[in-house]
Amino acid sequence: MKRWAPFAGIALLAALAGVSLWLAGRHAAPPALESGPVDASPAAIQATRFEDGDGRGRTLAEFSGKVVVVNFWATWCTPCREEMPGFVKLQSRWQGRGVQFVGLAQDDAAKVAAFGRELGINYPLWLGGGEVMTLSRRLGNRLGVLPHTVLLDPQGRVIESRIGIYHESALETRLAAITGK
Amino acid sequence: MNRITAALAAACLAGLAQAASLPTDEPLDPDKAFRPSARLVAGEPSPTAGTERHGIDIEYRIAPGYYLYRSRLRFEVSPASLLIGTPELPAGIEVDDPFIGKSAIFRERVTIHLPFVVSIAKPGTYKVKIVAQGCAEERICYSPFPQEVVVNIPPGYRVTDSPGLPAARNGPR
Repeated sequence: MKRWAPFAGIALLAALAGVSLWLAGRHAAPPALESGPVDASPAAIQATRFEDGDGRGRTLAEFSGKVVVVNFWATWCTPCREEMPGFVKLQSRWQGRGVQFVGLAQDDAAKVAAFGRELGINYPLWLGGGEVMTLSRRLGNRLGVLPHTVLLDPQGRVIESRIGIYHESALETRLAAITGK
Repeated sequence: MNRITAALAAACLAGLAQAASLPTDEPLDPDKAFRPSARLVAGEPSPTAGTERHGIDIEYRIAPGYYLYRSRLRFEVSPASLLIGTPELPAGIEVDDPFIGKSAIFRERVTIHLPFVVSIAKPGTYKVKIVAQGCAEERICYSPFPQEVVVNIPPGYRVTDSPGLPAARNGPR
């Protein structure tokens, strides 16, 4: 056996690891970051009124008893649209396990409806005016950025609040830990 | 063999460096990511021969990795006695979004000209209120955020060659 053979093996493994990381990193968005302190009671969160696509008034109180994934987003926000297909898959996998996703946007109703159809969004996309970003800020989004994702427990209390793209695998791990399922 | 080992090691380092470069810090405050400043433009030569430019130049310095949406910039000058015309924006960088279609963005630095539509501008301090929208590449987008810059018009300043533009509504544009 040649003297350099063991070193070549190690180098090859290291290179494979490096190339894998490089390939992954080329297209990977950075992970979601914890946002700031929350300044909204469960009652206030659940009382905020939004509208669905048909103009009917809705509140998060109707999901009381479930773990709710509240996603603040906008049609013009490219990173928002990047994470949403993952949410669609998670909603499908977790809907029978007490988890409900809901999207909240301060946006044009027609655009939101078109977006929902195009991406096959399988959870409610609700609309609002300034109250959408007001709630988002009260839920720790100090910078007023999108996407912003908040996990609520079955009583409407905030479990987690994150800004940036929430990757499907990371969120699924979190949901499993929260629900114990 | 040495060359092969070196190439493999380089690939490894490139991968590790890439992984390490993923930003995990908090995005910049919008006022740090997008820094506007204002400057009075008093009779500078216009690209159109034989005319002069009078107005306010808003220069944005944009942090690396961030961009502004061209079509979502709004300007309003107060006091409203100083009338401005349609903002003159550079074309920007065209991007083709699969959902919203073609749009234009600004990176690094951009100057937007707000032309006066008055022949005499009263001396004083004027505020330019801006509403802007932008994103950090592949990370987050900022919901519309307000900013404000100030410009001073000195005593004796006169728009000597105002091109006689039609008076414009001095609201957000």
